[in-house]
Amino acid sequence: MSSTSQKHKEFVAEPMGEKPVMALAGIGEVLGRKLEENGFDKAYVVLGQYLVLKKDEELFKDWLKDTCGANAKQQRDCYGCLKEWCDAFL
Amino acid sequence: MPFVEDPAQLSKSRLKSDLVAHHVALPPAASKKELYVELHLKHIDQSNCADFSSDDEDPVHDVVGEDPENATVLDPSALTDKDLKDLLLKHGVKAGPIVASTRAVYEKKLRKLLQSGGKEELNEAENAVLYSDSDEEEEGDENKEEQEEPEGEQEQTAEALKLNQQRCNKRPCPLKQNEWSSKRNSKNAVRSSEQTREHRSQIPAGISKVSIAQHSGLRSGVPSGSQSVVSNGCSSRSSQAFSITEMVVEMESRTSPTVCSDKELSHSSKQEHRSRSSRLLKEVEDKDIIVDQAVRYTPKDSTCVKDTKPPQEPENDILKEIFPDTNATPTGIYATPRRPIKGAAQRPIQYAYPKTPVSPTTLERREVERRLVPIYIQILVFFTVVYVLYVISVIVEDGSSVMPLLESLNQWSDSEEGSPALDETQDTHSASGEL
Repeated sequence: MSSTSQKHKEFVAEPMGEKPVMALAGIGEVLGRKLEENGFDKAYVVLGQYLVLKKDEELFKDWLKDTCGANAKQQRDCYGCLKEWCDAFL
Repeated sequence: MPFVEDPAQLSKSRLKSDLVAHHVALPPAASKKELYVELHLKHIDQSNCADFSSDDEDPVHDVVGEDPENATVLDPSALTDKDLKDLLLKHGVKAGPIVASTRAVYEKKLRKLLQSGGKEELNEAENAVLYSDSDEEEEGDENKEEQEEPEGEQEQTAEALKLNQQRCNKRPCPLKQNEWSSKRNSKNAVRSSEQTREHRSQIPAGISKVSIAQHSGLRSGVPSGSQSVVSNGCSSRSSQAFSITEMVVEMESRTSPTVCSDKELSHSSKQEHRSRSSRLLKEVEDKDIIVDQAVRYTPKDSTCVKDTKPPQEPENDILKEIFPDTNATPTGIYATPRRPIKGAAQRPIQYAYPKTPVSPTTLERREVERRLVPIYIQILVFFTVVYVLYVISVIVEDGSSVMPLLESLNQWSDSEEGSPALDETQDTHSASGEL
């Protein structure tokens, strides 16, 4: 089992509600701000993007990279976080 | 150029993806959109112009209206959503909805696919070239060898050997084969220079005869005839590809290996110097070691010279050689049993087998059943209770018939206690009974 961060565990533990986009694993202040600039101000909007891309890993990671410049680890963390959240709550 | 959008109107991400598609170095990530627009204008618009001018058939405005396909090759960002989706589907990508936010991603994906598609074709072409080259090399070597070895039977044995080994080794180590063949080329070339020219004339005739004979031999399928044919035919067909019919023929020839080997040995001993043949055999044996190690094939048969060694023997022979002590079973030799039978020796029967996986419902049912009272006891208790209740109801309803019973009971108790109390009780009982 790969290690997941505290942020990941917290996010996946409950419905996201109105959590900000910086609550996502892998998304810190800098990336969060960039996402907000692009209109993704809440975590559920990013979730929406993830779902519109049909939960495809590669596409979502590419999108994340293009939108906010996330590196591979950040992409991986964010994707994993959303995936697990969907598995639990969707 | 109406369909080329003004770069300033494109989003930053789209500009970025366009630049990447045209292999333009991206400015640092945090740079302003204007930079991207500039670069876009500089590089992409130029290339677009170049592309259009290179179109032989249609001028620019025709391309726009009639041929969306050509436009896609140039620029996925100029596609409609539907066309983009269709193209992606063509490349095997099932795209989701192409919305504003997803468009960039899908365009990028399409570009990647287009580029990789071109690369794959190149790779396939390269592979095809490689394979064809290797085949040509082998054929060239063999032709060379045929010319350089004008020896008689010795040459045939050598070539047959080589052929067999080539067949064996064709896949695993063709390089090794070529090395060996080149080495032997040099050695045999030295020897051949010492030889007379007589053999040279023999061989071409022999080969032509043999090729004809072999074909007939194959068709007729006569084992005896094919023996000598095959042994000579091996050399003639050295330049031809490996075929199954050859295998069959050689397997047939294998049925009498000793005969043909004796023939070959006698030939070789008669015509050539003994030393040469023994040296050749040694070489052959050395090669065989490699062959055996590389590919598990025919065992070393001391009597049979390897000239008639077929590339593939039936497995029974191999196993027999490897395990000479085991008895042959009617169906064949088994090297190892598959699964030990329960109850057989060294595998005693377990009377208590581990619990089989059980579904949760059965588990629940078992739990419940354990807590409940078994059903037989329930029935017994039921009938007992019914009987007791019946007795009581009878007593209550119909006291008179039960009176004697009660009196007897009371008399029995009278014997223990005083009597007057009893009379009184009797009276009261009778009174209650009447009531």
